[in-house]
Amino acid sequence: MRRLSSVKGFLSRVFPGRLVLLIAALLLLSGTAAAAPAPPAEKIAVFPTAPYYIYIVYESLIIFWIAILGLLVIIHMKLREIERVQEMGVDKEDQDAPLLQ
Amino acid sequence: MNCPRLKDWLEERYDLEGMKRLAKGKLIPEHRYDLWYYTGGITLFLFILQFVTGMLLALYYVPHIDFAHKSIIEIVTKLNLGWFFRSLHHWGAQLSIVFLFIHLFGTLLMKSYRKPREFVWVTGFILLGISIFFGLSGYLLLWDERAFAAVRVATGGAGAFPVIGGFIKAFLRGSIDVTGDTLLRFYAFHVAILPIITLGLVGLHILLVQYHGMSVPLSLQGEKKREVPFFPNVFYQDLSIWLVVTGVLVTLAVLLPPEIGIKADPLAPPPENVKPEWYFLFLMETLKLFPGSILGMNGETIAIMLVAGAILFFFLIPFFDQKSARGEKSPLFTWIGVIYLLYFLIMTAVGYLS
Repeated sequence: MRRLSSVKGFLSRVFPGRLVLLIAALLLLSGTAAAAPAPPAEKIAVFPTAPYYIYIVYESLIIFWIAILGLLVIIHMKLREIERVQEMGVDKEDQDAPLLQ
Repeated sequence: MNCPRLKDWLEERYDLEGMKRLAKGKLIPEHRYDLWYYTGGITLFLFILQFVTGMLLALYYVPHIDFAHKSIIEIVTKLNLGWFFRSLHHWGAQLSIVFLFIHLFGTLLMKSYRKPREFVWVTGFILLGISIFFGLSGYLLLWDERAFAAVRVATGGAGAFPVIGGFIKAFLRGSIDVTGDTLLRFYAFHVAILPIITLGLVGLHILLVQYHGMSVPLSLQGEKKREVPFFPNVFYQDLSIWLVVTGVLVTLAVLLPPEIGIKADPLAPPPENVKPEWYFLFLMETLKLFPGSILGMNGETIAIMLVAGAILFFFLIPFFDQKSARGEKSPLFTWIGVIYLLYFLIMTAVGYLS
């Protein structure tokens, strides 16, 4: 008994009550932190992050669409011309046409 | 650009005029449903884009569990326009499958599969299956936790198939679980085996379409229709649509680049609310409808068998629909087509929103 009380006295001298509580709280917190889910990993940048490059990309997209619309207009005009020629029947080869030497 | 010497050089060797006459001689009927004809061309165009972007990505991708994820991050973050080509490949795959489904249901509802075009349907249907497998195999190559979990579920589901399920599962995984062997196997499928089969089948599909000519819906068969030459009329229209599709694809690739998740860890628990690609959602929702056990039998096995039966019936529709083959209207198969389409759409929406 005496030996036990002396150990108690030693502990209370080395670790005062408040310090023991603090250590216990810290241990508990660290334990909870270990059990808690890991913080979400940093998202991988799948798009340029520099404002200058972002601007270039969006600008290129707009130019790309303007080019597509331009091509669509050209193709449509060409198609109308082809249909006009086909309606006139000029595109068909005349088998009896005389050959110019 | 006019190069008469080159033209003469080619003319001496090949019958260019004959080819021109053949292209001009191919006539396409014009009617109120002819917009459906373009869906096949769009799919073909997207397939070509997938081949090109896939080849570019394959130059930098490393099919090894330690480097696969890292190599994709490097493609996206370090290579010039790497993010763009990956995004283009991702959205190209999504759009290819969307247009494949549109093409499939268009063909089904217009009864374009009817005699003598049964094999056009068969080759197209196999191509759809291959495209879905392209999607699944490509999804795993990312080697992130979502792809890993989705492939584990998909290959596990294939394992529930009676008798041959175990073999299919082992064949797909190359191991008892999804491992580095599966990654290598899926890579081989994705970049070598499936492209070769696809090329052969696409060639055969196009050849059959050229051989039979364009199908006209039964309801319009008696009507007098105008026919336009494929070249240049339809070709120019095809070109216009391809341009618009390219614009949409590039816009999607720029505005919505696909995310890269955390690297897959085979020992980690699967992430919450993991979902497969959108074209598998109807299947996932169907499997959810079945209880774990039905009359002492495994519920999943019964579900897989029913789904397989429904897909087989869908595949064999041209051989069952005898009325269409005789040139008569067959409302029963129209309704069957509508039910399949609605089921697919509703279950996909439910799976997406849940």
